[in-house]
Amino acid sequence: MGKLRTELMTINMGPQHPSTHGVIRFIIDTDGEVIHRCEPDVGYLHRSIEKITEHLSWQGIVPFTDRVDYLCAMNSNWAYVMAVEKMIAVEVPRRAEFIRVMVGELNRISSHMIAIGTTDMDMGAFTPFIQLLREREYINDLLEMVSGARLTYNYLSIGGVNYDIPRNWLFKVEEFLNHFDPAMEQMNRLCTYNRIFINRMANLAPISKELAFDYNLVGPNLRGSGVKSDVRRDQPYSVYSELDFEIPVGEGFGGEVGDCYDRFMVRILEVRESIKILRQCIKMMPEGPIQAKVKNTIKPPEGHFYSRSETPRGDTGYFIESSGGTSPYRLKIRSGSFTGISITPAISKGILIADLVAVIGSLDIVAPELDR
Amino acid sequence: MNRKPRLSFKAYFGQIVSGVQTMFEGMSISLASTFLKVQTVEYPDVDISSRESLRQSTYKGNMAGMPENYRGILKVDLDICTACLICMKACPIDCIAITNVKCDKRKFNGKSGKAAVQTRAATRFDIDIGKCMFCGLCVIPCPTGAIAHSKIFEMNRGSLAELVERFVTPEQAAKHEARALEIETEEAEKKAAKAKTDAEAKAKVEPKGEA
Amino acid sequence: MIIELLTSVGIPELAAKFIFAGAVGFLAINFIAVYAGVVSVIERKVAAKMQSRVGPNRVGPGGWLQWLADGIKLMLKEDIHPHGADHFLFNMAPFLIVCGVAGAFAVLPWGPAHAIAADLNVGILYFISITSLVVVGILMAGWSSNNKWALIGGMRAAAQIVSYEIPVAMGLLPAIMIVGSLQVSALTESQGFMPWDWTAFDNPFALLGFLVFLTGSVAESNRAPFDLPEAESELVAGFFTEYSGFRFACFTLGEFAATWAIGAITTAVYLGGGQLPPSMAGMIPLSIGLFVLKTMSVVFLLMWFRWTLPRFRIDQMMDFSWKYLLPLSLVAFFGQAIYILISWDSPAMQTIVSHLLALAVLGVIFLFAGRVAYNIKIQLIPINTLSTEIGPLERAGKIAPPPAVVEEVETAEEGA
Repeated sequence: MGKLRTELMTINMGPQHPSTHGVIRFIIDTDGEVIHRCEPDVGYLHRSIEKITEHLSWQGIVPFTDRVDYLCAMNSNWAYVMAVEKMIAVEVPRRAEFIRVMVGELNRISSHMIAIGTTDMDMGAFTPFIQLLREREYINDLLEMVSGARLTYNYLSIGGVNYDIPRNWLFKVEEFLNHFDPAMEQMNRLCTYNRIFINRMANLAPISKELAFDYNLVGPNLRGSGVKSDVRRDQPYSVYSELDFEIPVGEGFGGEVGDCYDRFMVRILEVRESIKILRQCIKMMPEGPIQAKVKNTIKPPEGHFYSRSETPRGDTGYFIESSGGTSPYRLKIRSGSFTGISITPAISKGILIADLVAVIGSLDIVAPELDR
Repeated sequence: MNRKPRLSFKAYFGQIVSGVQTMFEGMSISLASTFLKVQTVEYPDVDISSRESLRQSTYKGNMAGMPENYRGILKVDLDICTACLICMKACPIDCIAITNVKCDKRKFNGKSGKAAVQTRAATRFDIDIGKCMFCGLCVIPCPTGAIAHSKIFEMNRGSLAELVERFVTPEQAAKHEARALEIETEEAEKKAAKAKTDAEAKAKVEPKGEA
Repeated sequence: MIIELLTSVGIPELAAKFIFAGAVGFLAINFIAVYAGVVSVIERKVAAKMQSRVGPNRVGPGGWLQWLADGIKLMLKEDIHPHGADHFLFNMAPFLIVCGVAGAFAVLPWGPAHAIAADLNVGILYFISITSLVVVGILMAGWSSNNKWALIGGMRAAAQIVSYEIPVAMGLLPAIMIVGSLQVSALTESQGFMPWDWTAFDNPFALLGFLVFLTGSVAESNRAPFDLPEAESELVAGFFTEYSGFRFACFTLGEFAATWAIGAITTAVYLGGGQLPPSMAGMIPLSIGLFVLKTMSVVFLLMWFRWTLPRFRIDQMMDFSWKYLLPLSLVAFFGQAIYILISWDSPAMQTIVSHLLALAVLGVIFLFAGRVAYNIKIQLIPINTLSTEIGPLERAGKIAPPPAVVEEVETAEEGA
């Protein structure tokens, strides 16, 4: 009788798989359920947004940035708009800046809620996801009141915001925060503090500081590894320098520093910080114009410009090469999801298939932002 | 596989106790939700654009009917449209198509209270709502407020051709074109007359100069 | 009884037995089909309520006929065999699962203690062993589908069900020791109507055994938080990924029928079955109603688990079985033995312990109700008390917004 031959099993996880959140494909080699190799395969949602922008007017690019990261369209708008404002040297009115901070933080909360909820759902808890979506609807309502749309807002314009906030909107935000603060804590008690959940997430796929720097992780993923890095604090843009907020970092809430639970908890703590920022903004909101004077057809000077901003998925950069025309010569988007997914081969050796789902969830990868 | 550290007795019982505790807590929360009203707006049954019907339904969110600046499909008020093509140029995806002809000069106040002068009329104002992404970029620069978002969001049509909203009827277009032709001929006549008078004037002046 | 009736008419005994078995089987399968349909709607309604949704509400009054529509749809669907599948095993697997669960219905009581199709003297043993047939079906389905996800699901199921057999069997031991019989009717008859007469609250060890049995049963029926074989976010749909049409319906049928089997056996063994107070003895419809009520409460508990808890990981699930449930069930077993030794001659002690335990459980329920009330209060914080309007001029930012309308709310922050 010959020797029993064994071999690794290669499985395609995706492009259509319930837990890859969009169309991402992972090629995994497994020994039973233990993963030996995991290779992400991206590009299934490539819509060549960067190329399309080369034929658009500067203002006309803004609705396309909505679609780059649909979970935080306001922050995507903001990142792009800041780059153009830097180019044409426009000063944004103070009221517009505060409105931007408020809608940006509201959108950060709603984006983190999706990240938290989908991770819960990947762990098999369906109820927290739906209940978080219920709370998110209130944010969608609030953003709909200011912008008129529920997902792709196109609210920020070059040099300000498109519409002023409605009467009583600030009250509504405060009312929402009063409701949401305990409700979020309730959601945490429902799933985040659950022993089964902690056991699944803690000590799983820890990312050390060095590894995080090597792979250029940004945003909550980097902060989960215990690095205090936040563009809002490191290179304060807008009015963030006037606001008082903490930068939560992973401290080993469940086990090791930088594990999945830390990355998960950092998002929850960030939601609390956003609530704090929103409460300050409601108090500090000034009167005044909402739009700086910008020509209808913008013709920026030649040269290249880069702006960074902190979106829910981390440091998002817009690099613009301008040839002085009415549309960019080249526009490059630097997104947090791409570096997030590139670390998966390094941290998913020797974990289980069920763990890979948790890792993807904790890295908060959004497929359209990945492929642009 | 990661090797697991051996659990101490305290940790072992801690796991059991915290497991039972958190399960208890989670189950109390999910049971609490069963006593609350559902939050779904049963859309075709509830008219979500009216505040009253929303209030009567189970909905308890922030929405009081549709917000005033909801971005539904575009509508054009041709009475105040000056066919200036600004919206067409602003559209990032070219879903607006306008052709214009000359018309009688007309002065009026637009929706934002700004004075506007109309010199041209649209003979074709088509919006392809199959392409439109409701970004609102055409509405912002409009000088008179002629193009605006409606609150209509139900836009299913029978065929692709019906997806193109044609705001100028063929009769209107024909009328404008006929009028434009008249204006053009008038202008041509005027021009000719002016040229004639100019020539006459010149002719009158020239002999003087010669003389 | 029915067999005797048939033989008295002149039918040979063997034929009479077959007729009886056929009739019972027919009834059981039909009951399973209808129950699975109705409970699938109930489960979806419960899940919807827990998630602030509406749930199925289109077919029939309040959506309660949804299961008919689902059933008809599944029957009319094409039965797809994947390329390279092992056809014989692929065809057989779903029916084996239904057989395994339906077989358990032979020993389930239906209210009064003796209303059992086959009151075997090893009823509990039969129940434990016949439900193991399910694992064969699941393994077959996973293997024969020629799908890697299905295979992983099948292997997970095998590991899970085999290892949870032990806590389930051990969890039933305290009850068996108290009564001294493996017969389901005897186990039911030894209990009374009031909670302190139930086996579950007989003593702390019986309660522990009850909890271990319930947890193990959840795992054995592949329901969340132990739904690893069909973990939809990990394995797409696990072992029935490739199934469609009626064969798929069989899997769901088996799964829902298992919830009834668990509920019924828990009720019969631990929660007093359909026992009525002595004054009302003999009222069979009432007894059936009580039994169904208790069974459905257990089924609701299973749904409640499913829609609250996150899923275990495969190694944690094995840990949970071998490191937690098995030692606990051993504690229950030995503790019960010692308790019986101590309290053998003192009925007073038995009475006091069971009453105190019932009281303690009542206290826990009150504590729980308090938490529920607190959580309801949090959700009731109002959110939509102010109206918001924006005019077309304001919207374009053309004029400054008018001052906020004060509606019985402090306006200190506005415009500050």
